[in-house]
Amino acid sequence: MALATQRVDVPVIVDESKCLEKCTACIEVCPLDVLAKNPETGKAYMKYDECWFCLPCEKECPTNAITVQIPFLLR
Amino acid sequence: MDTQWMKTDVLIIGGGTAGTMAAIKAKQANPEGEVLILEKANIRRSGAIAMGMDGVNTAVIPGNSTPEQYVREITISNDGILNQKAVYQTGKLGFGVIQELESWGVKFQKDAQGEYDLKQVHRVGKYVLPMPEGKDLKQILTRQVKRHKAKVTNRVMATRVLVKDGRAIGAVGFDVRNGDFVVIQAKAVVLCTGASGRLGLPASGYLYGTYENPTNAGDGYSMAYHAGAELSNIECFQINPLIKDYNGPACAYVASPFGAYTANAEGNRFISCDYWSGQMMLEVWKELNSGKGPVQLKMTHLDEDTIAEIETILWANERPSRGRFHEGRGENYRTHGVEMNISEIGLCSGHSASGVWVNEKAETSVPGLYAAGDMASVPHNYMIGAFVFGMLAGTNAVEYVAGLDHADPDPEFLEAEKTRIYAPLTRPNGVPHTQVEYKLRRLVNDYLQPPKVDNKMEIGLRNFARYHETLDLMGARDPHELMRCMEVHFIRDCAEMAARASLYRRESRWGLYHYRVDYPDKNNDEWFCHVNLKKDDSGNMVLFKRPVEPYIVEVDLEREVYDVAVR
Amino acid sequence: MFADTDSELNEWLEMLRSPELSDRLVAVKTLQHLGDEDALDPLIAALQDESTAVQKLAVTALWELANPKAVPALIGCLVSSDEEIRDEALSALGELISPDHLMLLLDAVQRDSVNMQLSILILLRKIHDAQSLPYVLPFFEAEQAALREAAVTTLRYLNQVERCQPAIALMSDADDTVRRATALTLGHLADAEVVPTLCQALTSDADWQVRRNAAKSLALHANAEAVPALQTALSDDHWQVRKFTLQALQKTPDNHTLPALIKALTDEYSDVRRDAAIALGNLRNPAALNALQQSLDDPDRDVCIFTQRAIQSIQEPTPETSNA
Repeated sequence: MALATQRVDVPVIVDESKCLEKCTACIEVCPLDVLAKNPETGKAYMKYDECWFCLPCEKECPTNAITVQIPFLLR
Repeated sequence: MDTQWMKTDVLIIGGGTAGTMAAIKAKQANPEGEVLILEKANIRRSGAIAMGMDGVNTAVIPGNSTPEQYVREITISNDGILNQKAVYQTGKLGFGVIQELESWGVKFQKDAQGEYDLKQVHRVGKYVLPMPEGKDLKQILTRQVKRHKAKVTNRVMATRVLVKDGRAIGAVGFDVRNGDFVVIQAKAVVLCTGASGRLGLPASGYLYGTYENPTNAGDGYSMAYHAGAELSNIECFQINPLIKDYNGPACAYVASPFGAYTANAEGNRFISCDYWSGQMMLEVWKELNSGKGPVQLKMTHLDEDTIAEIETILWANERPSRGRFHEGRGENYRTHGVEMNISEIGLCSGHSASGVWVNEKAETSVPGLYAAGDMASVPHNYMIGAFVFGMLAGTNAVEYVAGLDHADPDPEFLEAEKTRIYAPLTRPNGVPHTQVEYKLRRLVNDYLQPPKVDNKMEIGLRNFARYHETLDLMGARDPHELMRCMEVHFIRDCAEMAARASLYRRESRWGLYHYRVDYPDKNNDEWFCHVNLKKDDSGNMVLFKRPVEPYIVEVDLEREVYDVAVR
Repeated sequence: MFADTDSELNEWLEMLRSPELSDRLVAVKTLQHLGDEDALDPLIAALQDESTAVQKLAVTALWELANPKAVPALIGCLVSSDEEIRDEALSALGELISPDHLMLLLDAVQRDSVNMQLSILILLRKIHDAQSLPYVLPFFEAEQAALREAAVTTLRYLNQVERCQPAIALMSDADDTVRRATALTLGHLADAEVVPTLCQALTSDADWQVRRNAAKSLALHANAEAVPALQTALSDDHWQVRKFTLQALQKTPDNHTLPALIKALTDEYSDVRRDAAIALGNLRNPAALNALQQSLDDPDRDVCIFTQRAIQSIQEPTPETSNA
């Protein structure tokens, strides 16, 4: 199967300057399990574009590092 | 990957509204018994009420209404097709649930005198109880699960119920993070996996921009079917009036006590009742197609303070991103009506009536298998009904397991299921699940969206039957993608059930939910019955009529027809 | 997943005492998610952390633990200089307090802090205990309007209080929000001056929300003495005043109001037209039938339905018993 890599605008934005490396709060609460740690930086990021824009990640972040936008197609 | 084996007395699949309550009640019934909740997300924030709930739709509070009145109203609004004994449970036991939730710290709206502040949204009777502080519901339930010492395994998704000699003996699935194969032996299994919310495709085209929490992919509908259980009234779809594109409710329930209302583009009301029903949806559909649309939730006539109060409630609960959505479009309740549209179709007995067949004890037709919440066919059951049936499932399951032993699963079945689950990982360059799912759900929209047309549904059915071949092309690169792939399997099963059940009932009923162009009228002579379906011994989907159980509350359906469009 | 053994809990508790702020933030967040009762005392101690971010998360964590032992410490947070901490503590206390905490609250309401006093006045509403009355009354003369407003609102929640002369005086307060709250509270009081005071407010207060609230309270009183004032208010400039005035008139049907009610059937606002139809139905006066017949063509579905019902109730001598 031939595959292409496509760019997508993702709803969850992480401010890496605020994200704590030892913290996994956002990853633990995401109902869709779409967040992960970047193994190189130790910062959280949106790994899969499967967001219900339900906001627990934003609310549970202890440093307010996360902003959730409405997914582009709905915006 | 490894295989994890677990054993428990009562296994609860899904830790949302019904599942947490089932676990708590099972532990209350027998503190020594082992209870395990299997949750594919994290129970702190999972299920339909992941972000809380802004109100209760079916509160039968003594002094305001009686269980009998409630059963009457639901009988009429569901066009007579229901097991009244099951609906009666929600009316009878709901108040106790509300009191217990309060003792756990859940806040319901009360007036200054400390009485429940009920609102009328149904045609008759006050059953709506606002919860302006309901955003922490899930944390409160999680705390009670912990205090009752029920076990929780997060991030494991079940794929099949294990059945031996006709009874449920556990479940099988996999860890969606490390990919482990998970086998759980149980003496009773309670399915609480929520609605089939990823069936139709939202008009936005975003796969996860659904009304329901998109984790609720119809897992339980499919698992119950493959376990041999009956499902009921699948043709009675869930379709909701939502904010266009956003796919959250406009919340006329919340805003109407403040003076907001659903109106056409001219600003006039065209329905008499904001309670969600198929009949109401049919009126919305007609209005949208009449040239008087679009339909809007109108608040522009209200004053600043009232609008500010509505915003506070709407934006804190259930769909907290709603404010952000309006802001992004430069819209404001003070100057703009909230444009509404008809949602994608889904299956959900919490709102309509489509679900796994259960009786008034939450038992399915398979011994040892229980169902509760949005996926259990108790019409218009909503959140309180999910709690009540969770409670019934938990307590009855504990009674059922007394004296039972664990049964060993069939090794051949386990091996076959393992192969089925992990097949996409063998094709890492296979078609991505997103594309496979998009096409499937687009076909659902094309061929099943009401008004239902025979010829179109036949084409849809052929497509869904053939879709097994497409599923075999799907590839996954990690356990997370594998989870989404297996959800597409659930969605396909639900689509086939929806098509077959819709073709089987040759009449129209429940307003837009089952509006058939070829049979536009209700036909009580032939179709005053449930339409049930199941997998027969040779693996075929069979449909059959199941008579409506004798009523326990008398309702004259000839005289009392549900009508929200008095002309 | 997270820790499920004591040693792992202890690791997080130790991290909560780390000199690194980022460690303490992660620790307090993790303890919140763990929900382990053994973390209660360390979390109470974390309310004194030098970082307000840690303090706020500790409040949230204690809220989720829901152990009433945390109530005194959380009351202490109501005087925090950080608004978010005060708000979070107030929300937490709203869930955690019970009548057992009444004395603690009455003690705290006397502390010299406006933030504390405001929060406690709000919390007293959850307990509905008339014992609070002597502690609430002094705030009627508070310098800050917010305290006067909170106090007169709390009075509404003290179930056994039926008379309260000092509240009536607040109907002439200089602040709109105080008069709005007072107008609603007077709906629940039975002093002789209450109805005349509400009538006065309904017809002459400069703030329309005060007038609307007066109409709401007069509907609760359902006192025929108020009919002349209500009739006057049917020509109020604000539609919500007209709407709630009609709801009050529905409780005290009086044929003198017939012409004014018929006029209201053609109001610009559909809510007003609907309540006018209901009020006319309650009059049971056939003289209203002609006007009601015309309203059957109203473009608003709700107005049509209630007009139809009004016509039926005038034509049928017995009140409608069906609830359909």
